[in-house]
Amino acid sequence: MASVTLSNVSKSYGAFEVIDNLNLTVDDGAFTVFVGPSGCGKSTLLRMIAGLEPITKGDLVIDGRRVNDADPIERGVAMVFQNYALYPHMTVEQNIGFSLRMAGLGKPDIEARVVAAAQTLQIEPLLKRKPAQLSGGQRQRVAIGRAIVRDPEVFLFDEPLSNLDAELRVSMRVEIAKLHNKLGSTMIYVTHDQTEAMTLADKIVVMRDGKIAQSGTPDELYDNPDNLFVAGFIGSPRMNFLRAELTQGSLKLAAGPTLSAAGLPDAGEALVGLRPENFVLDGGDASLVVKVDVVENLGGTRYLYGTTGSGEALVVEVRDRAGIKAGDNVQVGINAARSMVFAASGQRVRPGH
Amino acid sequence: MIGRVPWWTVIVVGVLAVCWVVPVLGIVLTSIRPPADVALGWWRLDNIRFTLDAWQRVWVEYPLAESFFYTALLAALATLGTMLLTPAAAYAFHFLKFRSRRLLLIIIINAFVLPQQVVVIPLFTLWRDMKLIDNPLAVLIPYVGMSFAWSIFLVKNFLEDFPKELIEAAKIDGCGPIKTLQHVVLPNATSPIFAVGVLQFLWSWNALLLPMLYLRSMVPLPVLLTKVSGTYEMNWDLRSVAAIVTTIVPLIVFVVFQRQFAAGSQTRTGAKE
Ligand SMILES: Nc1ncnc2c1ncn2[C@@H]1O[C@H](COP(=O)(O)OP(=O)(O)OP(=O)(O)O)[C@@H](O)[C@H]1O
Ligand SMILES: [Mg+2]
Repeated sequence: MASVTLSNVSKSYGAFEVIDNLNLTVDDGAFTVFVGPSGCGKSTLLRMIAGLEPITKGDLVIDGRRVNDADPIERGVAMVFQNYALYPHMTVEQNIGFSLRMAGLGKPDIEARVVAAAQTLQIEPLLKRKPAQLSGGQRQRVAIGRAIVRDPEVFLFDEPLSNLDAELRVSMRVEIAKLHNKLGSTMIYVTHDQTEAMTLADKIVVMRDGKIAQSGTPDELYDNPDNLFVAGFIGSPRMNFLRAELTQGSLKLAAGPTLSAAGLPDAGEALVGLRPENFVLDGGDASLVVKVDVVENLGGTRYLYGTTGSGEALVVEVRDRAGIKAGDNVQVGINAARSMVFAASGQRVRPGH
Repeated sequence: MIGRVPWWTVIVVGVLAVCWVVPVLGIVLTSIRPPADVALGWWRLDNIRFTLDAWQRVWVEYPLAESFFYTALLAALATLGTMLLTPAAAYAFHFLKFRSRRLLLIIIINAFVLPQQVVVIPLFTLWRDMKLIDNPLAVLIPYVGMSFAWSIFLVKNFLEDFPKELIEAAKIDGCGPIKTLQHVVLPNATSPIFAVGVLQFLWSWNALLLPMLYLRSMVPLPVLLTKVSGTYEMNWDLRSVAAIVTTIVPLIVFVVFQRQFAAGSQTRTGAKE
């Protein structure tokens, strides 16, 4: 177990800067998820920590030691690749035991540890098979087995579930969470799926264009995003953004109602962020009329996909079966306390600034 | 209908096969008929007698067995050298980063355009100064060295499709470049290595120019064949036997290993369906 610290880390390919002066601490034993849109540099960052990609500038410290120039093995990291990268000519047993063999361990030692890892992942019956004879989910377990057998300081996962089908993805996600509870090791996990990030992470690092947009616990990011990007990225369905005018402590929505915004500095043109669950059918601090285009019924909850009077798209979560149909005009109340205001620059407008 | 070949392919292939088979048949027949009977052509039927006389005499009159042994030895060593060095070089050029990598690669691959005849004389003076004339190394080094041009090219091409993650996984698992080559690349690159081996074997078995110039006491088969043909005797039957003995091994090797070529460069990654 170890903490990982990146200070002023940059990475460029020629003149193209992929990671831009990044500072981050991954706590010892924490499950940290890097999340962000495609091409934002998540894999590059992970590969720099792994030692597969040289670091252009800055320091990488693992367990108190600067390891910029160390080999992966000296860093004590193990990595699970997106497409598994199992050695096709070796059996599952040999795949899992390979790193131990390279480290010069004796046969009985290797066998005991391979079997223990296989037990943890419930792949004991597969030990004699070749990767080509395994299903995608089984291959992924073997790939994870290859990582845990070494008992590494830090686990690195690069989108390990993205090649699996939806159902398997959910069950493997749970398994990875269990594994983390069991081993208690530091894990860094890259994904572009915000659900994976929310469900697995102790700490989420949202990345955008090679920079950290915000980092924090899942709840912090969900309840208190710093900017429009994070607000829109975390949460599903996405947060609604409504155009508004913020002047003298009052927030006038283009869609109609005015909300009180006491304590907020003037920002002029702004966007109000409201999550689908921040609406109620009765009451609320203010209300607006929504023309319902589609009703999505999930059983317990339904999502109304509608349009406001000002022509803005809106998603509203409804918990009771009010018999709302597509085409209806519905009056929905706003829970103003949960609304967030973002300036035109995309930054959150907070009180007292 | 799908799978049915057009009629003209049958004819084309048939003609090609006949073109190839007739001379072989000629050589075989010449080797087992008395020279007097075939003086006007092996296809003449005026006098039909068969004899294995030439097959017995040739071993006595010429050092055919000895030549066979030398040829096999030289070809085997050259093939082994190529099969060991080429994958290592191709791997280094493809996956490792070192100074003037591109330049070096271009120089090696450029040997492609360099005909053997051009290097023969400078190499001769070099071997003479190094006292390597009549040493097997005098031919083995150029056999292996000149094959680098096409063999590295071939294996490196195969490695283009080699999954990069496997190399990275090996690095994470604690392999340096040599161990990665040994444990991960080589076991998954057998088909191009065998293809290179077969081609190199055929090429070194049939080599004539270099052994003729650089070797004295060892006489490989192609050189011996020119000696057998170079006399003014009526020895068509002996020539035929020598020719058959010379070609039979490459032919067998090719037939046995032809699947390596058909298999081509398909990578068995097993990484992903
Ligand atoms: N070897 C390279 N040379 C040049 N540019 C590269 C190289 N590798 C990656 N990049 C660029 O760096 C940026 C970040 O790539 P990276 O693979 O880290 O993205 P990512 O966040 O993992 O995206 P994804 O979610 O699609 O995997 C991309 O714009 C990519 O084009
Ligand atoms: Mg990626």
